Amino acid sequence: MSAVEIILLLLIAALFVYAHIKGINPYEAFAEGAAEALPTIIKVLPYLAAMLIAINLFRRSGAMDLLSTFLAPMLNKLGIPTELVTLMVLRPFSGSASLALLQDTLMIHGSDSFIGRAASTIVGSTETIFYTLALYCGSVDIKKSRYALPVALLSGIVGTIASIFLIKMM
Amino acid sequence: MLGYVITIMLILGFSCCIYTGNSANALNYMLEGANSAVELMLSLAGSYLLWLGIMNVAKRSGLIDALASKVEAPLRKLMPNVGAAAAPITLNLAANFFGLGNAATPFGLDAMKKLYEGGGEQTKRGIASNNICMFLALNSSAVELLPTSVIAIRSACGSENPNSIILPTLISSIISAVAAIMLCKLFERISKHECR
Repeated sequence: MSAVEIILLLLIAALFVYAHIKGINPYEAFAEGAAEALPTIIKVLPYLAAMLIAINLFRRSGAMDLLSTFLAPMLNKLGIPTELVTLMVLRPFSGSASLALLQDTLMIHGSDSFIGRAASTIVGSTETIFYTLALYCGSVDIKKSRYALPVALLSGIVGTIASIFLIKMM
Repeated sequence: MLGYVITIMLILGFSCCIYTGNSANALNYMLEGANSAVELMLSLAGSYLLWLGIMNVAKRSGLIDALASKVEAPLRKLMPNVGAAAAPITLNLAANFFGLGNAATPFGLDAMKKLYEGGGEQTKRGIASNNICMFLALNSSAVELLPTSVIAIRSACGSENPNSIILPTLISSIISAVAAIMLCKLFERISKHECR
């Protein structure tokens, strides 16, 4: 058990005691807050479904591999090795699939090889952008996300290049 | 933007299925996606109940307001008029940082709600405010102290030093967060919508 977990448990316990001291029934307050959970989930589900339907089709049909092949020469020029291109393309679409691909990459190239460490760093320092945007925008009916997606994708590319550069240096 | 992305993914996916003679499976792939959305939401339902409940105990005790008064001023540099969203944004970023992924999302959704309410006419029409874009961009950089799932996979794959990636991961996610902030500020200047 890590220090973070112990601190967290102590904080939650302290929070409930503090509520009693303030004359608030934490049981009622908890239920009041938790009541928002299901409406949120019901609101988000259709947006998430649309996104995951498209992502799953895109990935399983082989279209994503074509995208990787298409992007590889460009990404190579930015210093991203071909072995990491598929991982980098997959990462913003699916968290679980990119963890599975990371495992394959570590098995093939070795966890402590350059490719293995760079792949680990890329997965750790980037996010499942399409899922996050669909979830967060869907929860409040934001239809036009404006520049949020390009900024997220560009900063993901910056993070990927930085990861490779840092692993080369360290 | 997400609408175009989905249409493009569908068209490319269908084309690939037809081209490779795999069109019988296209609907199955789509159904798998829909099923995974349901499974994901069911698995998240518990963490939403838990964390939205705990957050409301903190709110009713006055602790959320206390947190908001501390963090509002620094956050305002990134997001003007951040208002009531300051506390949930801080909780979201903190939960992400400490690797509490399933707590981060409920806080993040609460932050979105507050940013939406604070966005006035613009967000009511379904258009993201500058603050919403900034929050989404920050969230996409995944600044995390310990990338636990990656470390677990490295251990399982026989790494001599599974923790060797902690520092480079932290540094590169900070670099991408800084890039996200700068890009947002750049787009804010060239974008036509005004933030309220």
